[in-house]
Amino acid sequence: MMLTESPIRRLDAKAPGLAEELKRDLDIDITRCLECGKCSGGCSYAHGFDYTPRKMVQLIKLEERGKLLRMRALWTCLSCQLCLDRCPSSIDMPRILDYLRGKAYAERLNDVHPEIEKFYEIMLSDIRNNGRISETLMMARFNFATRRYFSNADLGMKLFFKGKLKLFGPKTKNLNSLRALFAKLLFRSPAEQEPS
Amino acid sequence: MSEKATALIIGGGIAGMEAALKLGQGGYRAVLAEKDHSLGGTVSKLCSSFPRWEDPQDLLRLKEQQLQSLETISILRDTEITGIEKKKGTFHATWKNSSGEEGALNAQAVIVATGFDLFDASIYGEYGYGIYPGVVNSLEFEQVLKDHTDGKAALPRNIAFFKCVGSRDRSKGHPYCSKICCMYTAKQAGTAKNLSPESKCYVFYMDYRAAGKEYEEFVRSVIEEKQVRYVRGRPSKVVMEKGQLLVRFEDTLIGAPMEVAVDMVVLASAVIPKPATRRLAEMLGLKTDEYGFIEAEYGSAVKAQENIFFAGGCGFAVETIGASAQGAAAAAEVMALFNKGGKP
Repeated sequence: MMLTESPIRRLDAKAPGLAEELKRDLDIDITRCLECGKCSGGCSYAHGFDYTPRKMVQLIKLEERGKLLRMRALWTCLSCQLCLDRCPSSIDMPRILDYLRGKAYAERLNDVHPEIEKFYEIMLSDIRNNGRISETLMMARFNFATRRYFSNADLGMKLFFKGKLKLFGPKTKNLNSLRALFAKLLFRSPAEQEPS
Repeated sequence: MSEKATALIIGGGIAGMEAALKLGQGGYRAVLAEKDHSLGGTVSKLCSSFPRWEDPQDLLRLKEQQLQSLETISILRDTEITGIEKKKGTFHATWKNSSGEEGALNAQAVIVATGFDLFDASIYGEYGYGIYPGVVNSLEFEQVLKDHTDGKAALPRNIAFFKCVGSRDRSKGHPYCSKICCMYTAKQAGTAKNLSPESKCYVFYMDYRAAGKEYEEFVRSVIEEKQVRYVRGRPSKVVMEKGQLLVRFEDTLIGAPMEVAVDMVVLASAVIPKPATRRLAEMLGLKTDEYGFIEAEYGSAVKAQENIFFAGGCGFAVETIGASAQGAAAAAEVMALFNKGGKP
């Protein structure tokens, strides 16, 4: 008889407790979840997620660390806080996702979805350099980086002719204080950073 | 205790009525004070009952008839108890009725049967209660059902029922299960389907709790025979779309966000104590739980304190049959008290 890996997912009873970790690091108690789905029905973007917020909680309970850190929703969540606002148990899902994003960075899983990672990178470098975002330049850089040169170009032109897009964005007056902020943040690795 | 010992029953809902009935049938004296003109409390607002689809008004008529034939029971209608204190084993109560008359009475035992209220669902902005006319609470829906039966107004076509509105919600201060909603929601959806079989009824649930004789069978019959659709998930919001109510939810079995357009949304609001219960508890020095429901003494389901008993919704959410049972139990406590050391 050949030994093959079972197609049935097996729970890992020895896995380190992710729920306990969230309790320790964020003081968020995942065991309060009633599995009601109120978070997910009202979520701004759950229809585009690979896992709805309720499923994410379940992944935490099942110690599915790999799935959580690699899921697309980790990067496409808008952090609009509706899930938290609606939750009968006040489980702070946006904060959990912040925490998991930090973990994903620390474990170098941030390039699992390269386009999203690229977008974050460009946006952050814009803020770092100018203190503000120039949408036009940011989108152009993003299109070049992802080699989709004309993606959203028609929309961009429309916005440009309506005067909604400026070629060059304004700069922050006090760039030095901003740099100090970034220096302080980058001094520590993301995993050590306190969740905001 | 003297033969003239009297029990004061505060609240003439089904629990207070049953307590008065049992005391009267046993030959004991009781005064039943009801703040409204008619007896029956919450039950008087109901269109049908579970688990046997009976008319609750038939039950009330029967109880009231039986009560009226009892000589030792006096009923004070339109009357509120304004004050009560205990001196040397006697309760001195003052009352005031709707025509402004005031009076006082003495009693040797008190049964509190003030009933319950429903939580104000407008605290949930996302459900639109108090904003959209088609969003009603469960007691208001009983009236919608009655209006349809009486030919006053037609039942809306498609209806969504939300359970656990306020209940099982720490963020709104009611972590407890309100116990009766699973059953009355099944009853209401089943009644709506009885009255208008072509309508669609959706019951949104986290789980359904049908712990009682014939309860599980009742809910199953609503699902299987009345064809009410049970959808697992707690709805997230209600929005208006083209004159219809659009319910957004996650079907937690499929795991996908979904929506459904309906004509009415019925909110099974949490059961909470009445302000009157808090007032009485304060006047009598009764122990209440953190929500304001009266607490029972160890060893008795209906004893609040020496010579003070309670029955029905003032202790916690309870269905009609349970409230009757508590009323009878409170009456038994009073009889045991009044007949202490009585002849065998």
